[in-house]
Amino acid sequence: MTETAGEKALELPNIVTILAEKAKGTPLSDFLLTWQSLIFSLIIIMLLSVIAYVASRKIKEVPGRLQAACELFVGGVDDFVRGIIGDKARIYTPFIGTLFIYILFMNLSGIVPLMKSPTSNWSTTMALTICVMLYVFYVSIKEMGVIGYIDHLLGKPRGIIAFSVFIPLMMLVLHIVSDFIARPLSLSLRLRSNIWGDDMLLAVLSGFGAKGIPLLLFNTFLVILASIVQTVVFCLLTTIYFTLVLTHEET
Amino acid sequence: MELLKLLSANEIVAQVISFLLLLFILRKFLWNKFTKVLDDRRDRVASELLKIEDAKADVERIKADYNVKLDGIEKAAKEKMEEAIAEGRRISEELRQGAERDGQKMIDSAKLAIEGEISKAKDQLKDDIVDITIGIAEKVIEEKLTEGADKRIVEEFIKRIDRA
Repeated sequence: MTETAGEKALELPNIVTILAEKAKGTPLSDFLLTWQSLIFSLIIIMLLSVIAYVASRKIKEVPGRLQAACELFVGGVDDFVRGIIGDKARIYTPFIGTLFIYILFMNLSGIVPLMKSPTSNWSTTMALTICVMLYVFYVSIKEMGVIGYIDHLLGKPRGIIAFSVFIPLMMLVLHIVSDFIARPLSLSLRLRSNIWGDDMLLAVLSGFGAKGIPLLLFNTFLVILASIVQTVVFCLLTTIYFTLVLTHEET
Repeated sequence: MELLKLLSANEIVAQVISFLLLLFILRKFLWNKFTKVLDDRRDRVASELLKIEDAKADVERIKADYNVKLDGIEKAAKEKMEEAIAEGRRISEELRQGAERDGQKMIDSAKLAIEGEISKAKDQLKDDIVDITIGIAEKVIEEKLTEGADKRIVEEFIKRIDRA
């Protein structure tokens, strides 16, 4: 919502900006522009909720198309998460699966006319990253305990290293930077920047008129590919963060 | 720091709440229901496969039993057949022996009958000889015997015996 004027200028018009334009000079216009990404996020949430509700309303022994698609998605995510984390993964499947479908829909909404990718807004990706980090932190505390987690942050100093102050301190700084700064920044900025870049490119190519249509179509294909790849990367990294925490206890 | 201006605390909080809301909804309508459906189906398929394996094992066992029984039946049939053959042979032997016995009896009875007939014939012959002898003697007594007549009478007598 606090994007620079330059970034705004390259945006394609969407339903919210059109409405804001119509209500220009009123508090509604400011409200719409301020919560633009959230409005699209809520539209996607509503869409996903309706799909989930309709699909789960009449579950049959022989599934229809929607039920089969949902089963495929749920089974696929479950296999994916369990394949990486192991048998403990079942409890993390809903979280990672919801992230996956939510991010994928948000990424792909950029190519739908009059829509915008909420993930091109850093606040959106940062919010998702905060959810991931808080959950990973919670799992860390749950698995290792408070003392165990502090021990982990200090790099598990044992023997002579335990008596030195420098190395555990360095490990603490390293872990804090890694777990609380580098990871959230990289996770959120990677997704936001890729999707924002795709949206910018679409906006630029749209300005070429009829001549830009072939390039626009090709770029749309690239956007779809990038959207899927970035979704997979985000969820894969999330799963790996869980894995690191869970296997830490075992090792 | 310029980059950090892109972030909005309010929007982050709102987005976190939105995501948690979606997580709650999808957990209720998608994850819980569909993981249960998939688990049930997986369990059902596993149990069906197990049943199929059991049925397969049963079939193998029944087949083995059947083969054993078939072997037993074949063996029993062979034994029965051998018994029947032996019985047949025994019966035929008995029949043969019975027939031989009956034949021997018939031969013996025929021999007895023949012997009886011969004896009868001999008795008859004796009677005839006696009658003839008596007749000749009567003639001899009745007629005056000559040497030629004696000779003729004897020859006649011999001829009679030959005819008899």
